[in-house]
Formats: sequence, C-alpha cells, structure tokens
Amino acid sequence: MEALAEPISDEALVSRAAAGEEAAFEDLVRRHQERVYRLACRLTGDEADAADVLQETFLQVFRHLGEFRGEARFTTWLFRVVTNAALMRRRARARRPADSLDAFMPRFDAEGRLAPTPAQLQVTSQIEEVLDRKTLAERASAGIARLPDAYRDAFVLRDLEELPTAEVASVLGIAPAAVRQRVHRARLMLRGYLNELAEDKA
Amino acid sequence: MSDRGCAPGVELLMEYLEGELSAELRSAIADHVAGCARCTAFLESYRATPEILRRATARSLPADLAAELMQAVRGRFGGGAGP
Repeated sequence: MEALAEPISDEALVSRAAAGEEAAFEDLVRRHQERVYRLACRLTGDEADAADVLQETFLQVFRHLGEFRGEARFTTWLFRVVTNAALMRRRARARRPADSLDAFMPRFDAEGRLAPTPAQLQVTSQIEEVLDRKTLAERASAGIARLPDAYRDAFVLRDLEELPTAEVASVLGIAPAAVRQRVHRARLMLRGYLNELAEDKA
Repeated sequence: MSDRGCAPGVELLMEYLEGELSAELRSAIADHVAGCARCTAFLESYRATPEILRRATARSLPADLAAELMQAVRGRFGGGAGP
C-alpha cells in the first residue's frame, strides 16, 4: 500500500519559493491568505485597510523570502509582518487618538469588592441575545480599535486568533508575562465595554 | 484572599486561568470565587468576552480580493523583482 504523502511544510515551500519556484510561493499565499485577511480585519477594524494589509504582507514576504532562516516557524514570521503592516496602516490613517477604554475597567468598593451586582455583571454574557449580529460586529470592531496598540495586537493574536501565549510572545518580541498582562488588561476593558453596550440595550 | 475582597483575584485572573499561579494562590482564588456571586458572574463574563468578540469579528476573504492578490503575486513574479 502506498503511504499517504506528507503535506509539504511551510518552511519547505519558503525554500522552494526563495529558489525561484513560483508555484511554491502561490501555494504559500493560498494556504495563508484567509488567515492573514481575517487577522488584518481584526487588527485594523476596517475591510479596506485589511485588503491593503493583505497585499502588503505577501509583498513583504516575497521580498524577504531569502532572509527567512527557519529559526522560527513561518507563521510566526508571517504574523509579525501582518502585525507591522496593520500598525503602519493604522498610523497612516492618522485618525484622532481613540477614546480610551479605561472607564470600562472593573470598579471596586472600599472593601475591594466588585461594585456591580452579579446580575449587572452577567449582562455581558448575554450581549448576543440583545444586539443583532451586524450591530454587534460593528461595535466589536470599534471597541477593539479603541485599545492601545500594544494591547490590541496581543489581544487579537492571543484571544481572537487563539495563538498560544508563547507564540504571541515570539510574534511581538516580548516576554510571555507581558503578553498575559496586555491580554488581561484588554479583556478587562472589552468586558466592561460589552457590558455597557448590553446594558444600554437591555 | 476573601478578607481583601475581589480585587486581588481579578488582577490575577489571566494567570489563574493559564495555570501560572502557585497552588496556594490558585486555591485561595478558587475558594473566594466559589463563595462570591460577583466573582462567579465576573469570571463567566471575562471568559465569554474573547468568545463573543471572536464570533463578532470573524471575516472571510472575498473571492475578488483573493483573485486580485493572486494577480498581484503573478505580476510581481513576472516583473522579475524576485528575492
């Protein structure tokens, strides 16, 4: 019986593409374009910006194929390129600074007890029942866009793309403890933000 | 933990969920949460937040963008500006 062919690795495709094999680069693009676009949408909060980031990412990857040494996984390198391209795109827009989400951090009473009641705290989990999909999609992107850049990158990679904390640390070039700290702050802010959206609607 | 309210546990929630805390700290937080309706509700909503936002921000690559990308890729190769 013939053994099943091992799927060719990203890293092997990169080597072939770097050696000039056009089909290998096209395979890499086809393999990762969906994920790159989704990540770009989440990082920029804008589909037109995400389309630019998608093109820019694969152009950068193509130009720098020869520099990939295989010390890291290809996807780690790829996500770093996407994250940088998205940051450039956000800066190019030169929007006014986003309103801070600090007001949505959890509040405590004098004894250190959470200030809202359990019923008020639970509202967040029910937001999909009180807001229609389209509105929630818009508000979700708007909320994520209001995070500080460093928090957003960590949160999107860790919690929305579900990369392991260690890989997010490699992509961003920071320590795993710093990833956890940023993701935690982002979760606290966004939890409060969703809570207010749900309360307004309820 | 309980004599200092919910705040210390909330601050350590991510480390708690990722198993980064000492056994002692971990069980102190677990004990507090078990007896605190606010923390139970907070923990549930803290866990739900990434899931809600993941669903709300899921996008698929439109076919025209994929076609444009492949055209650009082929144009670049054809242009000889290789690595």
